Amino acid sequence: MPSSVVRTRPEDLAARLGVGGAAEQGDALLRVVREVKNQIIGNKTKKLRYLHLGAVPKIVSVLAAASQGGAGHGDAAVIVQAAAAIGSFACGVEDGVRAVLDSGALPHLTSILSHPEEKVVDAGARSLKMIFQSKLAPKYDVLQEKNLKFIFSLLDSDNENVTELAACIIAHSCERSEEQKALCDAGVLQKLVSLLGGSSNQKDACLNSIEAVVKYNPEVSSKFACIDYGKALKALTNLILDRRHPHTRFLACKCLIAVGQASPCHVEELQIKSKLVLVLVELLEEPGRVGDEVPFSLKTLIEDNEELHKQALSVNAVEKLCSFLHMSSINERRLQGLLIALAELSSKLEECRCQLISPQVLSLIIDALKHDRTDVRVAACYCIRNITRSLKNISAGCLSSEAVIVQFVQLLDDPSKLVQIAALSALCNIVVNGATRKSVLIRSEGVSRLVQLSKSMDSALRYVSVQVLRNLLFLADITDKECILKELTLSTLASLVYDSDCSIQEQALALLNNLMDGCDSIKHLFAEDNMILDAIMRQLKNSSSVGVCIQGMFVLCNIAARSELEKDSVMNFLVPSHEDSCNRSLAIKFLQSKENSLRVACLWCLVNLTNPNSGGLSRRVTRLRDAGIIFQLKSMLNDPCLDCKLRVRMILEQCTEFETTQG
Amino acid sequence: MSHFYYLLGHFNPVETVTMSKKVITREEWEKKLKDVNIRKEDMNKLVMNFLVTEGYVEAAEKFRIESGTEPDIDLATITDRMAVKKALQSGNVEDAIEKVNDLNPMILDTNPQLYFHLQQQRMIELIRCGKVEEALEFAQEELAPRGEENQSFLEELERTVALLAFDDIKNCPYGDLLDVSQRLKTASELNAAILTSQSHEKDPKLPSLLKMLIWAQNQLDEKAAYPRITNFTTAALEDPAV
Repeated sequence: MPSSVVRTRPEDLAARLGVGGAAEQGDALLRVVREVKNQIIGNKTKKLRYLHLGAVPKIVSVLAAASQGGAGHGDAAVIVQAAAAIGSFACGVEDGVRAVLDSGALPHLTSILSHPEEKVVDAGARSLKMIFQSKLAPKYDVLQEKNLKFIFSLLDSDNENVTELAACIIAHSCERSEEQKALCDAGVLQKLVSLLGGSSNQKDACLNSIEAVVKYNPEVSSKFACIDYGKALKALTNLILDRRHPHTRFLACKCLIAVGQASPCHVEELQIKSKLVLVLVELLEEPGRVGDEVPFSLKTLIEDNEELHKQALSVNAVEKLCSFLHMSSINERRLQGLLIALAELSSKLEECRCQLISPQVLSLIIDALKHDRTDVRVAACYCIRNITRSLKNISAGCLSSEAVIVQFVQLLDDPSKLVQIAALSALCNIVVNGATRKSVLIRSEGVSRLVQLSKSMDSALRYVSVQVLRNLLFLADITDKECILKELTLSTLASLVYDSDCSIQEQALALLNNLMDGCDSIKHLFAEDNMILDAIMRQLKNSSSVGVCIQGMFVLCNIAARSELEKDSVMNFLVPSHEDSCNRSLAIKFLQSKENSLRVACLWCLVNLTNPNSGGLSRRVTRLRDAGIIFQLKSMLNDPCLDCKLRVRMILEQCTEFETTQG
Repeated sequence: MSHFYYLLGHFNPVETVTMSKKVITREEWEKKLKDVNIRKEDMNKLVMNFLVTEGYVEAAEKFRIESGTEPDIDLATITDRMAVKKALQSGNVEDAIEKVNDLNPMILDTNPQLYFHLQQQRMIELIRCGKVEEALEFAQEELAPRGEENQSFLEELERTVALLAFDDIKNCPYGDLLDVSQRLKTASELNAAILTSQSHEKDPKLPSLLKMLIWAQNQLDEKAAYPRITNFTTAALEDPAV
């Protein structure tokens, strides 16, 4: 017999629900509740429709009435149907969870967990499980004794639905480290480990909550690792090898990754970790949720670990990840994960970058830049950023095409700040070399957009956009440089040098260095009453950031390479004449810095100041001697930094050369 | 060495081919087989696993009594599962859905693909009975919203709705949807989901053992001549082809 589509309309059914008025009683009520349940299960549209009709509070009151009306058989059937309907409302629809919580379903569902009939307990536990899988569900305060006791009473149940519920509540409620510790001290971990011997659903639930209890918590993780002399860890390593249950396998991997991250000494570094890499790469092929989530775990596992990157490469992780990119009906979550994993893998190894540069793969990543989902666009940007960490790749293939640059420029207007930052950081690498690319960016109004972003209120955005401008100016030709500077303006530059964030000051000074490099642009430093130069000198005097001082000194170094006048102004700044030298001169301060690069920067500046071909050399050497700088330099003849040592010798030679010719 | 082969090849070309392959006689093989001890209980468990997973509840019950092998699942749940399967196989999809929901409401709520396939099957049954208007209404009301949620559902939905465009639906390009095999496909997807919800493996172990046997024989064929099993229903050993 084929089924009929004629079903009672939700409006009619909703009216017949609940207590009093038009509500049904007895068997008729049971049928109505069951019908509602069957209409909404799996059907989001219907759930929303019934929510609008106010069905949830009505069903909750049916549940309340039935569960209070004694344990008669009729009641039990109504309870089961009502609990199932409530659970379904809480599944997959946020408004549904809210409605269920608002109508006070929790205490009623909890009370039926002690019902004598197994079917009722099952229904209650399943329904609560649905609720606690939602982020909206209230957390159990596990620091309270009575709540802990309750959770333990559930864990001790013979009914697997109830133990799964307990695991679910733990995973949901355990967030802060004191909660993790409280649960651990109460022996929850031992209990969960013992439940790993149960059915696969129970296993999965327990693994989820073990992960929640140990995550980011070194103390709890190490206690977990020591349970029964490592038996718990052993159980997990066995589970990751069980090919029959991919979901369980994956959850066990996640637990091990969490333990390994929180307490590295307990997860024997490479041995277990390479096994994990192997298993995760295998699990990439799983359909559904497991396969979608695997790339994220793989990324977490191998993050910043070159050895594990190599491991992953050796089991063809990159080929596999790429092969999924080629699939037509790939969902957003998986696409995001694949890109994130590929970005991680290409962050260090050139070999991986080379694999991704092939036109087929690269075009897929570039397509992802246009994806609807913010997360996917961000991941694609970072992927391209890391691929272009290789100089070889920047100049290769489609990345040099005008279209790609234009696409990145468009992303600078993305509504999401995360995308803007990610796009900027990719551009940073892309614009480093290639004159054509630079001019494409300039022509496509990318520069004016970059300049706007460099004035953003958000410091992260300011930082990366100045960085892009800095790289854009690197080895750019003079017309491009002038063009960029015109857009940027000196006053913006000065305000960037004065930025409240010293990492941005540093970038701005580095930008100035690239601007001045090898051409006549140095004149801009002196324009508008030395506006820029003043800014640099102010920062050098006051900044406590080494980076800022290094970049500032390199700017001075460039100035000191020029005319007498400019040399003298640098000299006056670094080594003030006697009258105002009550403080240690800047030159001495920098030469005595612990930071190698700062000493080197300062020494290069002195190299330029003592250039034998300049006229005012005698004046300057005397000044240096009087200020005790020559003495300081002599003490640095055996500087631990080779670069410093060589520069010191060079300066001293230049000075003595002058003195001997004089003498 | 090459000289030696050359001579052999000259005098007896057949020998050279089999030279690389080891020959194992029937006696040797049977002796080796005898050395392998498989516990009777394990064999029984395999059989029980097959009966339970495939849903042969009466056979499982009889086997339990005869062999003393305890099933790893409550036999009552098999009856429920089989009732669901039967309803679906006889085209009574709505009944099957209600039964699954009574068994465990989480199955269809957490498995959108299965839910869609069941709704699709409902529509197919309506079309089969020629209830065109009802089918259209159903597609609009129930299936279209699912298509909006998922691109691949939309494609399947389009295929199904396309059935309505043909007079002779059985012979149209999408006629396979009306085939019994489509019902069986949906039924087995549902069966697997129920088993998974009961923490039971969705496939019996026996067929995968058989697959492993075939794989192992194929591997071995490259290295040796031995008494292989070709007829799997009798499992008779054949004399090695030398």
